[in-house]
Amino acid sequence: MSSRWTHALAVSGMVLLTGPPVHVDAQGSARQVGAGVPRMPDGHPDLQGTYDLNTLTPVVRPAGMPAVLTPEAAARLEAAVTESLSESEQALDANRSAPPAGGDGSPGAAGNVGGYNTFWLDPARTYMMVNGEIRTSLIVDPPAGRVPPMTAEGAARFAAQRNAASPDQPPVDDPGLGDPDSYNDPEQRPLGERCILGFGSTSGPPALPNYFYNNLHQIVQTPGHILILSEMVHDVRIVRMKAEHLPAHMKFWMGDSVGHWEGDTLVVDTTNFNDKTRFRGSGEGLHVVERFTRVDANNLLYQFTVEDPATWVSSWSGEYVWPRTDDPIYEYACHENNYALEGVLRGARFRESEDAKQ
Amino acid sequence: MKQLCKSLALLIATGAVATPAVAHHSFGGEFDANRPVLLRGKVTRVQWVNPHVWIHIAVTKDDGTTEEWMVEGGSPNTLTRLGLTAESVKVGTELVVDGYQARDPTLLRANGRNITYPDGRQLMLGSSKTNQER
Amino acid sequence: MTIAGLLLATATTSYSQNQPYEPSRLPGGRPDLNGIWQALSEANFDLEAHTARPAMSLRAGPYGSLPTPKVLYLGAVGAVPGGLGVVAGGAIPYRPEALAIRAENQANWIDRDPEIKCYLPGVPRATYMPHPLQILQSESAFFIAYEYAGGVRNVYLEKPSAPTIQSWMGESVGHWEGDTFVVEVTGFNDLSWFDRSGNFHSDGLRVVERYTRNAPNVITYSATIEDDQTFTRPWTITMPLYRRLDRDTLLEFKCVEFVEELMFGQWRKNPLER
Repeated sequence: MSSRWTHALAVSGMVLLTGPPVHVDAQGSARQVGAGVPRMPDGHPDLQGTYDLNTLTPVVRPAGMPAVLTPEAAARLEAAVTESLSESEQALDANRSAPPAGGDGSPGAAGNVGGYNTFWLDPARTYMMVNGEIRTSLIVDPPAGRVPPMTAEGAARFAAQRNAASPDQPPVDDPGLGDPDSYNDPEQRPLGERCILGFGSTSGPPALPNYFYNNLHQIVQTPGHILILSEMVHDVRIVRMKAEHLPAHMKFWMGDSVGHWEGDTLVVDTTNFNDKTRFRGSGEGLHVVERFTRVDANNLLYQFTVEDPATWVSSWSGEYVWPRTDDPIYEYACHENNYALEGVLRGARFRESEDAKQ
Repeated sequence: MKQLCKSLALLIATGAVATPAVAHHSFGGEFDANRPVLLRGKVTRVQWVNPHVWIHIAVTKDDGTTEEWMVEGGSPNTLTRLGLTAESVKVGTELVVDGYQARDPTLLRANGRNITYPDGRQLMLGSSKTNQER
Repeated sequence: MTIAGLLLATATTSYSQNQPYEPSRLPGGRPDLNGIWQALSEANFDLEAHTARPAMSLRAGPYGSLPTPKVLYLGAVGAVPGGLGVVAGGAIPYRPEALAIRAENQANWIDRDPEIKCYLPGVPRATYMPHPLQILQSESAFFIAYEYAGGVRNVYLEKPSAPTIQSWMGESVGHWEGDTFVVEVTGFNDLSWFDRSGNFHSDGLRVVERYTRNAPNVITYSATIEDDQTFTRPWTITMPLYRRLDRDTLLEFKCVEFVEELMFGQWRKNPLER
């Protein structure tokens, strides 16, 4: 591994593959943007455009990593990613046989059955930079770059939702299956698999990269309403400017968003979440504040603060850059051809009928 | 080593991959690790849809009969942005697919763990013009 | 003259006897179509003129049609109200073989209508669903968000150079002709319907919409349907869209969740009675 990194470094020299620099003051709010930012007729900065949120920088800082990478370290990691992706695109053996019975050992999303080829993905190749710093996490507070601990109530709620295996569940020797009791009803399946919301909190709020594909978002701006479209699952949040939140009993999958300007920063406040969205285990009390600042012609700084006193012991905050893209957003009609959910449920019923025969 | 697995492993090492909340073993829940398949056949239909593209292929079995299989791919939107379309995989194109069958074996579906041309080159790579020559 | 014909004739002419309506405008000079709008017609039940019917899913009874068992318990809630029709000229000009398919669609409505499964409604049906829509219009963008199933349409103001792919809501390209916003929509799949009466199209569909704000709280909307695989000639529907004075927001109507029991309930570990 290290020899390959050295080789990659030698080939790439000191070329930095990181994204464009974005500068923001320490507070990150209410700052005046530079002359390069176009303005709307009402004088506010024009936030409109299509943005690609993808980045190598994860939400949570990996253990053992510093908060900021040196340019050399970032270049090494980025080169390794590029090389790995190139390797994954090589031709395969024309005379290959079926993969191994019992699974191919692939972890995580690939589920021991190998998922699919990498050509379907749209992986990022660079880390993002804020204030001249190459960041190793979106989360900046807590300073460790991790989500704060859960409260006792939050942890208990999260555990109860995780479908502990029932005592009479026969042992399952299938690492790709996960919890065998999580296939009883469609309501147990992830929201992305049900086509209710896109995976990875892609719409949010907070809107996060999903690290796979279709990270495109579009902003349309009018004086009274600002719209944020997420490609998956064609979800729109329409922010009502200078408005009051809807009554507390009105609860929504993406909450209710109201906005106002603080100088050149759009501040969006979202409450009224239902108890099914469960952003990283949150409950109905989830409250998200987002700040959108167009720092130059091609970059939007996106900052977010998440709080739910019933779920986490403190609020937490993150920031990253949304670079503009010329790529179009395509329709992501998900539910209309959702064979996968059918296959998952039918597969569980078949497995149970086979188990019952034994 | 499986291409997706390798890249994901590296992405996990660099910390780029999100938590398991991203995809709760959806592949592992849909397809059966104990039913590996190798399918060789001609494309009969391409559903260029989300959340998964489905490539239908006619597989001729040893006894000479034909089975229609559906092979699951990823989202088409990224490829559409690269200039590919459903027509980039022409009806009649010969494909080789290794993967695993659906957990409900009455469904002739498999994950497109690897979808290649008969010579081993991966589908969808290269220019759309190249693909249209196949 | 049908109501639809009357509206078509007056769509771009005077609001009152003596002076044309002057809409409020965006700074760039275009009429301001921003707002939350909704059709009040019965078009989503049936585009053509029709009297009230017992239900959308009917079977033969001893003295005429009766609701089928699957909709019976909705009673009057499941009945179809009458409408004067929105089709200029009255009848949709189907090819004979396509007319036969419409009859099959009507007979099998409960299995075939994509609205039942919360599928995206397509264009123009999205416009006259019994839910509001919101237009967000700036100098550089024109976007329509539909409350029903969270449908969206970003209307390009310049035709994209990339090839058009197939989708439920099509690819929309808009331009102004005077004070009328004209939207050409192509790239449809063949899976959406025009209403709950089985009116349908092929993937050769092309729709041309016209939005004209000719009163403070009214947009006159027309859509011309072109699809020579299905119809013998183009045909046009027209209806007013009224501003929702009681709403400053769309609400979520994420009906995917609502149809899970219908579409996947049979695959529960412990299915409920159906």
